[in-house]
Amino acid sequence: MVTKAFKELAILNAAKRGMPHERICFTPHPVWGKTADELRVYVDGPDPVSGKPLMKEVVDGLTVPLSDDEKKTGMVSVSVGPPTFTDTADNLQDYYLNNGYTDFLPIILPTEEKVDAMLKGTSHHPDEVVGKMAAGAYPAWSYTVKQVAASAVMSGARPEYFPIILAIASSGIASLFSSTNSFAFAMIVNGPIRDKLEMNYGIGALGPFAQANATLGRAWTLLSKNLGNGGIPGDTYLGSLGNNLNYNNVVIAENEEASPWPPFHVQRGFKPEENVVSLFRGLGVVPGQVARGSSVNESPQFDYQMSDLFSTFTGFFGALIIADPLVAVRLKEQGYDTKEKLIAWLYKNTTQTVKDYKGRNYSYLFEYPQALQGREPFATWYKLPDDAVIPHFPRPESFNIVVTGGQTNAYPQAGNLSYGVSVSIDKWM
Amino acid sequence: MNRRKLLSLLGMSPVLLTGTSVQAQHTEKKAPVSKNSSQGKLTAVNPKGTPPSIQLIPMAPRLDGLDAKTVYLVDTGFHGSDTLLHQVEAWFARNMPQVTIVFRRKAGPYSEDDPKLWKEIKEKGNAVIMAVGH
Repeated sequence: MVTKAFKELAILNAAKRGMPHERICFTPHPVWGKTADELRVYVDGPDPVSGKPLMKEVVDGLTVPLSDDEKKTGMVSVSVGPPTFTDTADNLQDYYLNNGYTDFLPIILPTEEKVDAMLKGTSHHPDEVVGKMAAGAYPAWSYTVKQVAASAVMSGARPEYFPIILAIASSGIASLFSSTNSFAFAMIVNGPIRDKLEMNYGIGALGPFAQANATLGRAWTLLSKNLGNGGIPGDTYLGSLGNNLNYNNVVIAENEEASPWPPFHVQRGFKPEENVVSLFRGLGVVPGQVARGSSVNESPQFDYQMSDLFSTFTGFFGALIIADPLVAVRLKEQGYDTKEKLIAWLYKNTTQTVKDYKGRNYSYLFEYPQALQGREPFATWYKLPDDAVIPHFPRPESFNIVVTGGQTNAYPQAGNLSYGVSVSIDKWM
Repeated sequence: MNRRKLLSLLGMSPVLLTGTSVQAQHTEKKAPVSKNSSQGKLTAVNPKGTPPSIQLIPMAPRLDGLDAKTVYLVDTGFHGSDTLLHQVEAWFARNMPQVTIVFRRKAGPYSEDDPKLWKEIKEKGNAVIMAVGH
């Protein structure tokens, strides 16, 4: 029994898992926020898809004998079309757009010549399997170096960017995720490759001011569509509002040189001279200059500012602090000579009441079920009185800090984003 | 959109609906007629990855009726699913009281498996209705 809004998802996902005739009945949408009396009307009424009485469909679904189709076994292979397409440039642009291969912006056509040129950006064989990717709880698709190269060309990336794109692809993390929450994704690039590719980590570091920053993020979304089969509305993408950050994601080249702290990849166990891309997932990024603590006096309190900024974040995802070097240097002068000290303060001082915690959507969906299973800290939190004060995030590891920007003003931003994985770029050179 | 058309989007519907163990057709949209006949033709690489093959799973045999049978109602944990399923439970009490209804909330967040519950249903139940709200 599924709500009508997820008709395509339910039917297609059942088919992908081998049950194309799964008996599914539908209720009106939504059920969230409806009273028992309102939902009784749903139950007593028709299935909005078939028009038949809903509960008759339920009973029939359990008792009507199986058809021959429903008893079928065997393997079915799924085609995604021929390996190449031949037509004029205009027609190919239309073809790629109309078949969902693009982000609905013009692409660089992945001609065989351009794909061959992209393949020169790595020592890996074109037929080597890079990994598997799924845009949610779907069977994952696999892909080769050459298949990754096609999307890399389409994004406008240059061959020298290709090892980063391969590293992202090897993670298996899609930047388009099926959730109704309209997730956003971010990457941090560390190491000497930032300068080799002329990545921007100065003025406008998060904006459209460098080819590498622009195309690496776009490539991730194209990979997610083409290799992970993500981003098909109603099927593999359900984000109700969508997320503008999905066009090219949040691409952060760390300003390692201006940071008073060790770079992000070194915190994750890599050497400073290694090239690494680290991936994050969550809800988005917000500006920090309006939060409390950003006073006009001579001593802006960036720690309080960040803590205030996090008050609307869900603890289910982490907090990624994106600090301009001016912010980071000031924090160090205030005594936070390591990122760990700042994180310890933020963990301790970013709090909420149990009542507020229990009222949060994500607490009910993801953490209450864990509390019922005895998992900490949620089990303890759900036993406390409503006025008890608890941390806003479940653990200090929920916080991450990266430094980037051009030092034109001491402004931070912050992402409600969780760290996923760090991947070596050097392995894909 | 009906089920047949929906499945055609997967590039596998003809097989899934009528046969097995053969290559399904790809159902991409056709490119329009060339707007500029002076353009030369290019060959471009298909950027799609490789989908896994699908193992068809025969559905479980149906019951010959629900009298004296035990039906589990499984709440996956989405908002409102429990309220909806309790109304389904009430419907059975009103209309088919001879059916025993057992309500269970699946353990863990909705994306996690619950093998203990599946084992319980196999041992004690005759049928299951799962509900996903939102």
